Amino acid sequence: MARLLEKKVSRRHFMGLSSCALATIAIGSQVKVLKALAKDGRIDAPTGLGSKDVYSSCGMCVNKCGFIARVKDGVIQKLDPNPEFFIRSRAMLCARGNAGVKVVYDPDRLKYPLVRVEGSKRGEGKFRRATWEEALDLVAKNMNEIKDKYSRASVMFASTEGTFSEHFFTQLAECYGSPNTLRHPTLCLSSNIQGFGATFGTNPTPDVLNADFIIMSGANRSEALMTPDSIDLLRGDGGKRKLIYLDPRFTKTSAKADEWYPIKPGTDMAFILAMIHVIVTENLQDQAFIDEFTVGFEQLVPHVAPYTPEWAATECEIPAADIRRIAKEFAAAAPRAVYYQGRRSSFMANDTQMRRAMAILNAIVGNWDTKGGLIPNANIELTKHDYLAPWYDEDIPGRLDEGSVTYLSEKDGAWPAFRDRALAADPYPIKGMMVYKQNPLASVPNRAKTLKLMEQMDFICTIDITMSDTAWYSDVVLPEATYLERQDPLEALGGIVPVVAFRQPCIPPMFESKESLWIIQEIAKRLSEEIAAEFDFTMEEHLHHQVKHNPQILEDLRTKGIYYESTEPNYGRTRGTALKTKSGKIEIFSQKYADNGLDPLPVYTRPTAVPSNRYRLLVGRHAYFTHGTTANNPYLHDIMPENTLWLNPVEAQKLGLKNGQMVKVRSAVGEEKLKLEVTQKIRPDSVYMAHGFGVLSKAQTNIYGKGGSDAALIEEKYCPISGNVAMHETFVEILPA
Amino acid sequence: MSFATVIPKRPGEMLWFGLLCLGMMAGAVGVVQVLIHGHDHVYNVSREIPWGILISTYVFFVVSSTGLCLVSSLGDVWGFEKFAIIGRRGHLLALLTLVTGFGTMAMELNHPIRMGLYAIISPNFTSAIWWMGALYGFYMVCLIVEFTSLMRGWTRLAFWSGLAGFFAAITAHSNLGAVFGLLEARHFWYGSYMPIYFIVSALASGAALTVLIVYFNHKARGIEMPPVYQEFMYTMGKLQALFLGILLFFVVWKIIPGLYGQPPEKYETTMAWITGPLAFNFWFFELGLGILIPLIIVANRRTRTVFGVMIAGLLSTIGIFFMRYDLVIAGQMVSMRPEAVEGASHGLIHYFPSFTEIGIVIGALCLCLFLYSLAERVFDLEGGHRH
Amino acid sequence: MSNKRYAMVLDTRKCIDCKACTVACKAENHVPLGRENYRNWVMEEALRGRYPNLGQEFTPGQCMHCANTPCKRVCPTKATGVNADGIVTVENKKCIGCKYCMTACPYNARYYNEEIGAVDKCTFCEHRILTGREPACVETCPTRVRVFGDLNDPNSEVSLLLAKHPHRVMKPEMGTKPYLFYLI
Repeated sequence: MARLLEKKVSRRHFMGLSSCALATIAIGSQVKVLKALAKDGRIDAPTGLGSKDVYSSCGMCVNKCGFIARVKDGVIQKLDPNPEFFIRSRAMLCARGNAGVKVVYDPDRLKYPLVRVEGSKRGEGKFRRATWEEALDLVAKNMNEIKDKYSRASVMFASTEGTFSEHFFTQLAECYGSPNTLRHPTLCLSSNIQGFGATFGTNPTPDVLNADFIIMSGANRSEALMTPDSIDLLRGDGGKRKLIYLDPRFTKTSAKADEWYPIKPGTDMAFILAMIHVIVTENLQDQAFIDEFTVGFEQLVPHVAPYTPEWAATECEIPAADIRRIAKEFAAAAPRAVYYQGRRSSFMANDTQMRRAMAILNAIVGNWDTKGGLIPNANIELTKHDYLAPWYDEDIPGRLDEGSVTYLSEKDGAWPAFRDRALAADPYPIKGMMVYKQNPLASVPNRAKTLKLMEQMDFICTIDITMSDTAWYSDVVLPEATYLERQDPLEALGGIVPVVAFRQPCIPPMFESKESLWIIQEIAKRLSEEIAAEFDFTMEEHLHHQVKHNPQILEDLRTKGIYYESTEPNYGRTRGTALKTKSGKIEIFSQKYADNGLDPLPVYTRPTAVPSNRYRLLVGRHAYFTHGTTANNPYLHDIMPENTLWLNPVEAQKLGLKNGQMVKVRSAVGEEKLKLEVTQKIRPDSVYMAHGFGVLSKAQTNIYGKGGSDAALIEEKYCPISGNVAMHETFVEILPA
Repeated sequence: MSFATVIPKRPGEMLWFGLLCLGMMAGAVGVVQVLIHGHDHVYNVSREIPWGILISTYVFFVVSSTGLCLVSSLGDVWGFEKFAIIGRRGHLLALLTLVTGFGTMAMELNHPIRMGLYAIISPNFTSAIWWMGALYGFYMVCLIVEFTSLMRGWTRLAFWSGLAGFFAAITAHSNLGAVFGLLEARHFWYGSYMPIYFIVSALASGAALTVLIVYFNHKARGIEMPPVYQEFMYTMGKLQALFLGILLFFVVWKIIPGLYGQPPEKYETTMAWITGPLAFNFWFFELGLGILIPLIIVANRRTRTVFGVMIAGLLSTIGIFFMRYDLVIAGQMVSMRPEAVEGASHGLIHYFPSFTEIGIVIGALCLCLFLYSLAERVFDLEGGHRH
Repeated sequence: MSNKRYAMVLDTRKCIDCKACTVACKAENHVPLGRENYRNWVMEEALRGRYPNLGQEFTPGQCMHCANTPCKRVCPTKATGVNADGIVTVENKKCIGCKYCMTACPYNARYYNEEIGAVDKCTFCEHRILTGREPACVETCPTRVRVFGDLNDPNSEVSLLLAKHPHRVMKPEMGTKPYLFYLI
C-alpha cells in the first residue's frame, strides 16, 4: 500500500531523479501511518463473505442508507448494500457509500487529540499531539473562562445533521447555557421548509415512485442523490413517467429528463406562477379538492392574472407555448403529478416565496396526500431523551441573531445573519466556538468573513473525523470515531414509509478516536457537576430508553439494520384532519404572512441583471461528494481530483480563453484560481463550479491546492424570511490566470 | 589477450569509453529507480499506452540484429565473397544488439523471471510473443554457434549455423512484426504489412550498421582503410540505396491507405504520425535523416564516398531508431474508449518517455557500444580476412 | 451440474453516471488507488447537439468476457484463460507483465495491477458468485442498470431480457463476441 501513495505523486509525471527522491521522503511519514492502519501491512485479498457481518447505516451523506459491513480479522473488507433497507434506500449504495471503507483507513483521518502549538497562528497547521486529558481540560478551561469574562451566550455551538449524535452536542450547548446553536438548515433547505410549511403545515415528501409527471427546478436528483427519489426517478417506471427539468446547466438529470429547459437563473417563480395562471384561467384545477382542503384560492385567481405565459417567457426564457403545454399536461396528470420542491440550498433571496409558489401549484391540482402526489411524512415514534438544563442565576442574553429574519428557528439560527452580528459584537461578543462536524469555512458563503469571525475568537474547538478547514483553524481538534467505529443512537427517518435506523460499530475505534457521547460527557464533567449530571447515562442505556415502548425496534436494528412497521405507504392519513397551519387547511393565501408584513401570495421579483463582463456564479453538486466533506476520500478523489469552472464556448471565445487553462474567478468578496472547462452544458450568462474544493487545510493531502472554493466567492445574501443563504446572487469576473 | 590490451590508452579512446560509462551510469540509475519504485511510478507508460520507448528500443535492437545477421550472412552463407570480411564483426554485433535488446525488453516486462518459467511450462502457441521469444531464442543460439565457428575457423559449422541463423532471423523478425500485425484491435498495425515491413527495414538497418563498424573500426585504430574495405563500402552504399528505396516505397504505401477513404482509427493514427504529435519525428528523423538524405548521398556517385556512405549509415540508424519509436507509439495512440481518456485531444492519447525510460534507453545503447568496443579489443575480428 | 454461460445485460437508459459500480468494484476487489486503476467504468459519451439542445449517454462497462477472446489468444504463458462458465480469467502467478493483452483488448478493460504483480480486470466477482451473491457492481447499482445471470438458463432474467429487447454489443466489428449486452 505504500506504493499507492507514491503513485499519487509520481504517476504520469515527467519526473527527474531528484524530484523522485523528494517524493519518497515526503511519503515516508505516511507509510508509517498506513502500516499502523492495517496491522499486518495490507488488507487481505477478496475472500467472499467476511467472517462477521455488521448491520449499520451509512454516514457519508444525509440519506443514512443501510449497509452490511463485511469484517474479517478486525478489518472492514467491504460495505455491501443492505437488502432489508429496500424501503428507504432501494437496497443500494452509491459511490460514497462504497468509499466508506476509506474513511476508516485513510492516512488523513484524525487519529489523536491535537492542540495548536503555543505561539503559532491559527491556520499555520502547527498542531501537537495531546492526551485526551489535556485536550479536554483545555476545552473546559476555555469555555469556563469565556463564560466568566463575557457570558454563557458568548460561546457558539455549530453542528450538523447526519451524525445521529448531534443532539448530545446541542444538549451540551443548552446545559452550558448558550442559546447560540447554529445548525445546517440556513445553509440548506430552511426556505423550503418555510415555504411548504407555511402552506401545508409541514414539508411533505413527493411520491416519486408513483408520480406520472414530475417537474424539477434545479433539483439535480441524478447527481444530488436523495433516497429513494433519485432511484425511483429511473428505476422501473416503464417509460410512462415524464420528467420536466429546469436548470441553467445540463446536468446528469438533464440527460435523463424528457424535457430540459436552461431556465434563466432566479426566474423559476415566473415559470410556476405562469403555470398557475394557465391552470386557473383554463379551469384545470381540482376544484373539489380546493373547496374542501384549502383556503385563499379566490385571492389566488386575481393575483396570478398578470402572470401570463407570455410574460413568463420573457422572464425565464422558456417559450410561452411550452409553459402552457406543460401546465396542461401537469394538470391532466394530477393528482399523480408533482412539482418537486427539492431540498438544496436556496437560489435567490426570495427563495421562500418561490417555494411557496411551488406549494400552491401543487395544492391547486389536489396532489396532497394521495398516491403519486405530495405525502406528509409518517414517522415511527421513539421515546425522547429528556433532560433538564441547569438553571443559571445569571443574566444570559437571548440568541445573538434574534429578530434578524422573520422566522428564525431557535435551534438552528441563521448563519450569515449571526456572523454579521458576531463580527460587530452586536449586541454582545462571541468569543468561543465549539464545532461538531460542521465546516463553516467550506459551507458558509464569504469565507473571508468566516475567517474574520474565527480570528476574533478566544477559543475554537472542533470535533470531527477529518482535518476540515474549520478544524485546521481551531485551537483544539478532537478526533471522533468514524461512523463505522461507533455506536450511534436510533433515529426515526420520516417519509412516505417511515423507518428507524441506527449505527453500531463494525470495528472498535482506531487510534485514539472516541464516540461523540464520550467526548461530550468528558467535557461536561469538566464544566460542572450540574452539567455532568445531565449526561449521566451510557449509550446502551440511552438506546434502551429510546425503545422503552417497543424493544423489538432495537432487536430488529441489531439483526437486520432497519426497523419498519409497514412496507407500503399509507396514503390519505391526514385527509380530514387539521393540518398544522393556522386555519388547519392548506393555506394558498397565508394570513400568517400577511400579519407579519410579508406577501401573503408569492409576488415575483426579477433577479438582478447580470452586469456586463460578469457571469452569474452557480454552485451545485455531483454524485461523488457530499458537500465539503468527502472530496479527499481516496476512492472518490480518483473519480474527480479537482473542480473546474464551466463556461459556455461562445463566451470563452469572447474572452479568448481555452479549455483546460487556469483562470482567476473574482467576485466582490474573493478570488479563486481553477481550471476552465469550456462546455455547451451551461447558459452563456452563467458559470458553474462544483462544491468541495479549494480547501485551506493542508492535512487534506489529496485535494489541497486543487481547484477553487465556491465559499470563498459567494456573497452572503440571504432570504429575509427564513434566513437561508442565497447561493446564486453572486456575479464573477473571469480572467486568465 | 592480456588484460592490458583492454585498457584504453589513447585520449580519444579514453573519451569514448568515458562517455559510454556515463551513458551506462544513466541506465544504471534508471534500472535502480525501477527496482526501488516499480514500473508504474517511474515509467510514463499507461493503461492506454502500455508499450513505451523501451519496447520500441527493443524493436530497434532486434531489427539491427536481424539486419546485421542478414547482411553478414551474405558472405559466410551465401558465398558473396565481398561480404565475408564483415562476417565476424557483423555476427558479433548481431549477437550484442540482440542481447541488449532482450535486456531492454526485460526492463519493460514486469516479471522477466516468470517469463522464463511459464514460457516453457505453459506455452501458448497462438501467441505471437511466445513465438517471437522461442524463435529469437533459437536465433541467439545460432548466432553464438556461428560466431564461435567463425572465430575458431570451423567453416562447415559456420555455414550450417549461419544458414540456420539466417532463417531464424527472418522467421523471428517477421514474427516480431506479427506481434503487432496480429492485433485486430489496433487498426494501424493490423494486417500482413508489419511482418514484411520489418524484414525490409531490417535490411536497411543492417546495411547502415555494417558500414558504421567498418568505418569506425579503421578510424579508431587510426589505420588507412584497405582497398577491399573501400570496395565493400561502395557496394554497401549501392545496396543501401536499394534498401532505402524499398523502405521509402513501404512508407509511402503505409501512408496512402491510412489516408485514403479515412479508414476509422487508421486515419487518425496516420494523421497523428504525419501532422500530429509525431510529425516532427516523422518528417525530420524518419523521412529526412532516416531515408531521404542518406538516399541522396548513396544514390549520387559523387557523394558515395567512404565517408559519405558512413554518414548515410549514421543518419539512417538514427532515423530508424525514431521509426521504431513512432511505429510503436502511433499504434496505441487511438484510444480504445475515446470518451474515457482524460485530456486526450482529438481522441488521441499522448505519451512521452520519462527520464527513467530515456536513461535506460541511453544506458542500453551505450552498453551495446561498450560491449562491442571491448570485444574489438578482446577478439581478433579480422580473422581470416586480414589483408 | 452443467456449465453456466455468465453474461451481463445493461440498460444504459437508467445510468446516471454516479460511479457507484466503479467504487464498489475497487473496494470489493482491492483495486489499487489511482485514476488508471479500475476494473469497471462509466463512460460519459460525447455530448450531442449544441446548447440549448443537448443530449448525453452514460455507458458503463467492464471486461466483456468475450467468447472469441483476443487477450487469451495473445497471452504468451496462458495466464489469461476462459473458465467453464465463460468467465475470462487471469492466473496472476503466470502473468509476465508483457501487457500484450492490454494492447489486444479492444475495450481497454485491462490494467496492470502493481500490487498483485499481474494484469487485472473484471472477474464478474467470481468469488461472490460462488457464494450465491451478485457481482459487487450489480448489487450496488442504485438504478439497476446491470443485470447479471446465466444465459444457459432460458428462464434467467438475462435470458428473458435479451429475448424481449433488442440489444447490441460493443465493437461487434471486432468479432470478439462479447457477453456484455446493452439494451437499445
